[in-house]
Amino acid sequence: MRIKLKFDENEKKFVDRVSELSGENIYSCYQCGRCSAGCPFAFEMDILPNQLIRLVQMGLEEELLGSKALFLCASCFTCQARCPKGINIASIAEAARYLIEPKGKDYFGPEEVPDELADELPQQALVSVFRKFSK
Amino acid sequence: MADNKRKLHYYPGCTLKEKTTHLDVSTYAAMEILGYELIEPENWTCCGAEYPLNEEMIMGLTAPVRILRQVEIEGGDKVFTVCSFCFNVLKRANEAIKSDPLKNKRINAFLKDDIHIDRDSGEKTTDFKQYNGDVNVLHLLEFIRDWVGYEKIRSLIKRDLSGIKVVPYYGCRLLRPKGRTAIDEPDDPSIFEEFLENIGCEVIDFPFKQECCGSYLSLSMPDAASEASYNILRSAKLSGAGMLALSCPLCYYNLDTRQDRIRENFADSPEIPVLFFTQLLAWALGVDEEVLGLDQHYCNPRTALGIDKSEVKK
Repeated sequence: MRIKLKFDENEKKFVDRVSELSGENIYSCYQCGRCSAGCPFAFEMDILPNQLIRLVQMGLEEELLGSKALFLCASCFTCQARCPKGINIASIAEAARYLIEPKGKDYFGPEEVPDELADELPQQALVSVFRKFSK
Repeated sequence: MADNKRKLHYYPGCTLKEKTTHLDVSTYAAMEILGYELIEPENWTCCGAEYPLNEEMIMGLTAPVRILRQVEIEGGDKVFTVCSFCFNVLKRANEAIKSDPLKNKRINAFLKDDIHIDRDSGEKTTDFKQYNGDVNVLHLLEFIRDWVGYEKIRSLIKRDLSGIKVVPYYGCRLLRPKGRTAIDEPDDPSIFEEFLENIGCEVIDFPFKQECCGSYLSLSMPDAASEASYNILRSAKLSGAGMLALSCPLCYYNLDTRQDRIRENFADSPEIPVLFFTQLLAWALGVDEEVLGLDQHYCNPRTALGIDKSEVKK
């Protein structure tokens, strides 16, 4: 993938905004990759958790907000427990989803729940999936 | 007997009153034998299931803080939960109120104007007092270790579980995020193993005990979640265990209720009974089989529990 680095005001603003929303120090990541090695859903992801941080560091807003990986995070915090710098990528993914949401429709809203599952699903699954993936 | 029971606050959470009532009922049954009368905070609501990770979404803290404030109003200094999600949300919200003055101020300013209407008298209360995180949030595993004590548990055991080979499954929310809100060390936990050993089970170690089962992705990304759950079930079976014990209703849904759907993707996915730790505790303490809600399980745990041949020790 060829990427043009621009580091202008907008990119800088994007990094600051993600830091502010997630409460994480984006620049403390030095790309060791332990998060991606431990992530239980990395096998399904288009960009790996460490790449996700790299995109934020470089201010590549569109590449990040268009990635499927943001919706594969189960907030299991395995990355946070293993990160030598204690970065919580689940918070960064949540901040990124928050930045997409005003622009688009819900990623997973109530109408998407299959009828045949409505009776058996635990309340907890519904509450958490809507908290994560809808407005 | 009933008059000298100690009162203790218990927050069940929404799933326990609807879909996994066997977790709730077995908790009540076991705690009664241990000498506790459980009190649920009046008018409790869902805790929100997910702690808000976005610093600007602090409205997600109002529900857990309101629940904890109610415990304090009712004179409780601690509250325990059995659901891992509820534990995580209540504990983290409590920590945020304690350690973040800005969040404390904003949440308390919002919750001060709550209106409470008494069910019987219709009397209205408002102008609530400040909540500063003074209620101790505990998971039942912690409460048993630190307040009840394993010795007392061992002295009350009525059934011999020594033939039961069980793997403890922690999942995510009890151990992570790493730090003050976890009940044990994320990479090398032991609290669940200690509990199971002390109720008499044969504990088997397995490498997937801290792995994520897929959580809410079983709804939005079912195939990805099935793969995660399959890895856990398969590893549990390969380790030689007869059952898997856990504490989270969502893990239970993913690992027990969804076993047939996991098999659609992975034909060799094993059938293995999944039980809540409170069911095993209640069973060890001599609670009747009917109380455990064994019919609610997808995978029948009766054979693994040794029902048919088990004898009650006199």
